[in-house]
Amino acid sequence: MIRQLIRFQNMDRRWIFLGMALAIVVPLLAPINFPFKIDERVEAIYEKIESLEAGDTVFISADFDPASRPELEPFYRANLHHFFAKDVKVVIGSLWPFAPPMVNPWLEEIAADHGKVDGEDFVFLGFKDGKELAIKLIADDVVKAFPKDLKERDTATLPIMEGKRQLQDFALMMSVSAGFPGTREYVLQVQGQYNLDMASATTAVSAPDYVPYYKSNQLFGLSGGMPGSAQYEKLVYDKYGNDSGLINARPIATQALNVLNMGHLFIVLLILMGNVAFFLTRNIEEA
Amino acid sequence: MVGEFFIPHHQYRAMTNEFLEWGLILSAGAFLLGLVNLVQVNLPKVQRRDTDWQYKAIMLVALVVTLVIGFAGGTARQQPGYSYKWFFDYVFVPLNATMFALLAFYIASAAFRAFRARNLEATVLLSAAILVMIARVPIGESIPVVGDYLPQLMNWIMDVPNTAARRAIFIGAALGAIATGLRVILGLERSHLGGGES
Amino acid sequence: MMKTLFRTCILFMSLLSTAATAAPIDNLTIVPPKASSGLNLSLSWTFGEATTSGPEVLGLRLLRRLPSETEWTLVGEPLAPDTTATSDTVPETGTWAYKLVSVYTDTPEIPKPEALSEDASEEEQASFDAEAAQLRTAWVQTVIERSDALGDDSDMATGTTKASWLNTNPGHLLLLALIALVGGLMMVYTRRAQRGEEIYIRRIPGIDAIEEGIGRATEMGKPVLYVPGIDDLQDIQTIASMLILGQVSKTVAEYQSDLIVSCCIPIVREVADEVVKAGYFQAGHPDAYNASNIRFISSEQFAFCAGTNGIMLREKPATNIYFGRFFAESLILAETGFVNRSIQIAGTAEATQLPFFVAACDYTLIGEELFAVSAYLSKDPRLVSSLKASDIVKVLCVAALLLGTVLHSMGNTFLVDLFKISG
Repeated sequence: MIRQLIRFQNMDRRWIFLGMALAIVVPLLAPINFPFKIDERVEAIYEKIESLEAGDTVFISADFDPASRPELEPFYRANLHHFFAKDVKVVIGSLWPFAPPMVNPWLEEIAADHGKVDGEDFVFLGFKDGKELAIKLIADDVVKAFPKDLKERDTATLPIMEGKRQLQDFALMMSVSAGFPGTREYVLQVQGQYNLDMASATTAVSAPDYVPYYKSNQLFGLSGGMPGSAQYEKLVYDKYGNDSGLINARPIATQALNVLNMGHLFIVLLILMGNVAFFLTRNIEEA
Repeated sequence: MVGEFFIPHHQYRAMTNEFLEWGLILSAGAFLLGLVNLVQVNLPKVQRRDTDWQYKAIMLVALVVTLVIGFAGGTARQQPGYSYKWFFDYVFVPLNATMFALLAFYIASAAFRAFRARNLEATVLLSAAILVMIARVPIGESIPVVGDYLPQLMNWIMDVPNTAARRAIFIGAALGAIATGLRVILGLERSHLGGGES
Repeated sequence: MMKTLFRTCILFMSLLSTAATAAPIDNLTIVPPKASSGLNLSLSWTFGEATTSGPEVLGLRLLRRLPSETEWTLVGEPLAPDTTATSDTVPETGTWAYKLVSVYTDTPEIPKPEALSEDASEEEQASFDAEAAQLRTAWVQTVIERSDALGDDSDMATGTTKASWLNTNPGHLLLLALIALVGGLMMVYTRRAQRGEEIYIRRIPGIDAIEEGIGRATEMGKPVLYVPGIDDLQDIQTIASMLILGQVSKTVAEYQSDLIVSCCIPIVREVADEVVKAGYFQAGHPDAYNASNIRFISSEQFAFCAGTNGIMLREKPATNIYFGRFFAESLILAETGFVNRSIQIAGTAEATQLPFFVAACDYTLIGEELFAVSAYLSKDPRLVSSLKASDIVKVLCVAALLLGTVLHSMGNTFLVDLFKISG
């Protein structure tokens, strides 16, 4: 038995991979939907957007790539549904080169669901290289930063951009960010300087980094990882579920939480079993 | 750039913006150098049939194909119907997502190996990790009796000791960055320029 | 004719309107803000006695022109009816005239000409823009006349821009003082070190392990892999990594081992190339330098990660050194290195990745320890003195934190307000 415990502690990591694979696949096939509570930071995002009026214009910085799609796509989609359901106009830019081809089709799909017009109710300005330098330029002059949108139209002449030159001209700013450059750079470079109303949706690994910004009111809301996206989805789809634009909306993160449940449980059990084996064999080895 | 934080004058800002644009252009130009380096390093290995030359050949072929279809598509290459878009949707996105998904497996393997209660600090680390992992997901909230308290405890761990430690790291790293930056600006350290004392 | 029609409609509707929350706008004051760039102005005003007749005010609009001009231009977004202050960015320095007018619930929206087709020519676009400007000007004039007739506008006021060469907000000045303090202390301790005074640095096992790792690689006949992070050269962690690479390459050259540097950014690759070359030259082994070992893999994060993993699995380095800024690829790199049984030394100031390096690497340098490596390895008194300077400032920061916590708990926010950086 001791030999088996020692073998267990030193087992080939491919067995761990197999166990993890099962923990991911099984919940997808047989989901058990546990209820969950809404975090105050996510609720703050929801409430702030609820306070917007029809005709307000917001800026979204979509800074993520396919790798972080599972965590941020659900939030991004629900966020767009939320804005469009409230007839809020949306201007989107990106600091990541691989965001536009992924994010723009979702924008057009959701805008079409709500009957929104490109150039008047929404616009995708495209990708701006330069990281922090790009952020400063965007904050100072959005039109100069993006002289043409993704469809090669002059940004300055678009109806949605009328009266909008600086980030502070927008009702609020949403940073959907998977890392660098993203939320932190916006907060450090421009949030204080331009006194922006800003919130962030980010990956689970980055969210703890931005809690100090939430606590110091530099961010009015913070959604972290898939749980945050699921909570936000629930708030939006519960209220606007009957809106015609939301017929095609699917609570992706809520369904993916099943996988997260089992994955976390698997790792915890693995750690506990490893420690039990460690303690049992340590005493024998010492003896 | 440092001066811009302290000097708000519009003429100074205009000058720094000009430098920023130059910096962007130079960074873009450096990509050509990177391209040349990739070919310079890998092509001879393919020609000599070095170990695993096939992977290098695949990389070079992918490089050429991506360049060609990217240029061929022009500015409209991200629109549906273009080869570039097809490659992005059906090659790049799955590969990128796969690499990121590897993290789930590697985290399990690293956690199993590293989280052993060898001493008091390791035990505290292990306990906090288990608690946060369980409380973070709905299954933790559903545990009878303790389920209501776990998220509060998790939030306390994340908001108080975790945030305190992160802030300490930030402050220390920021001061270290200031010192390093001053060393470079004042010329005390020049080894990153390829120079230094002989 | 369009202009006449608009004016008639608005005057007619104003006669039919009921309700009333309008008020005259008084004391419009325009001043350049503190620490101004020279292109912005701050405006403030007050409201007089609210009238009980007239239409309901929807909001306020700000108008601007040069004093020598006659036509007003709309600026910014509509302001809420109870707003008493705003700011404006002007196109050029000088004196500008402003006026505030009220917009009512029954004021029509700004008219626009018929939309152009997507393939409109440049002349059609120019004509469209000119007509849009004309309609806008007519609308503004109508709003001014109505607001003036009802007494809900402000008198014209002027303000002159003023550019500042120094941001004198307390937070900015404090930061400047902090940087000057670090620099000053560096000078002081550098002088002391040059006079022969010993400056103590505590032992950092991770840095000592670098030389051990290089020795191990030499014994095993395998290379050392150095990964300087995935961020651009302008990031301070990448700069610190390049400084360390200089020392590492010199040591590798002295041990006559091989060094592979795997770079994610092309310009970092060029700098790393120069740094490694210099290191080999300084060690007296210029012939051992191999340019093809300094490799640009890919600027895409996971492609770079896959490529570096490939280097690890094929060339099997005995020692992996990760110094710089890392993101999600950190654990993948470290785990692959673990599979290879390499000694792994990591250092980053990226707090999100530290747990992964701690779990998977043999030694991890946390935060500021990364910035101390080059001074620690070189033992150059000028560099070591900079560590001392930053340590002193750290003590001062801790003291300020403790004092600020006590004061804030007692209700005094002086220190908290002093450290605020805004504008």
